[in-house]
Amino acid sequence: MKNTIKVERAKKNWTQADLAKHIGISRQGLNSIETGKFIPSTVLALRMAKAFNTTVEVLFQLDDTEQ
Amino acid sequence: MFTYLYEAKHSTSIFMERSGKNESQNSVIFALIYGATYLPAAWLLKHQMIGKPLSIIVAIIPIITFALFVLKLIKAFSVMDEVRQRVQLEAVVIGFSLTAMLIMLLFLLELCGVSNPGWFGYGHLVGYCWLFYFVGWFVSKKKYDV
Repeated sequence: MKNTIKVERAKKNWTQADLAKHIGISRQGLNSIETGKFIPSTVLALRMAKAFNTTVEVLFQLDDTEQ
Repeated sequence: MFTYLYEAKHSTSIFMERSGKNESQNSVIFALIYGATYLPAAWLLKHQMIGKPLSIIVAIIPIITFALFVLKLIKAFSVMDEVRQRVQLEAVVIGFSLTAMLIMLLFLLELCGVSNPGWFGYGHLVGYCWLFYFVGWFVSKKKYDV
């Protein structure tokens, strides 16, 4: 699973701490999601998409091997 | 209206974060209280410094403080974010599995007539159980980089 969280964060000029506060998780937790070590739940993914005014599909995509 | 909603959402996430921290701190405090009751109780009972009726009460006190600690831990778990919940879950799974493996191994070795109660008594198993939990915690924290 790959994600574009870092790109979306850069567009909004948000730090990891800013986004983490918005979606109600720890900064370390967000770092774990951003680096692909942890796959978030649907609720958290939707919350993240809402914070960026985008969709979950834009934020998260399956790897070529997962499709 | 939008600003109000944004502020409300923002303050909710801050509240969740603070509440999570408070619950975590509470569980650490109760873990320390448990340790502070368990170690003196074990020492008193080992050296048989008190009579039997009082010994039973002294033996029960750490169990009560441990139960309170577990309740606080469950409460803290419910307000943790999902990454921390996963870390705790994996730590418990690894800790439980390793403890179960050790107990099975000790049982089988006992059947063979090879056992050393000096190293693997009930009291030691409690220590090994905690040790395995912390091993699991460390491994899981490394895995998710938190």
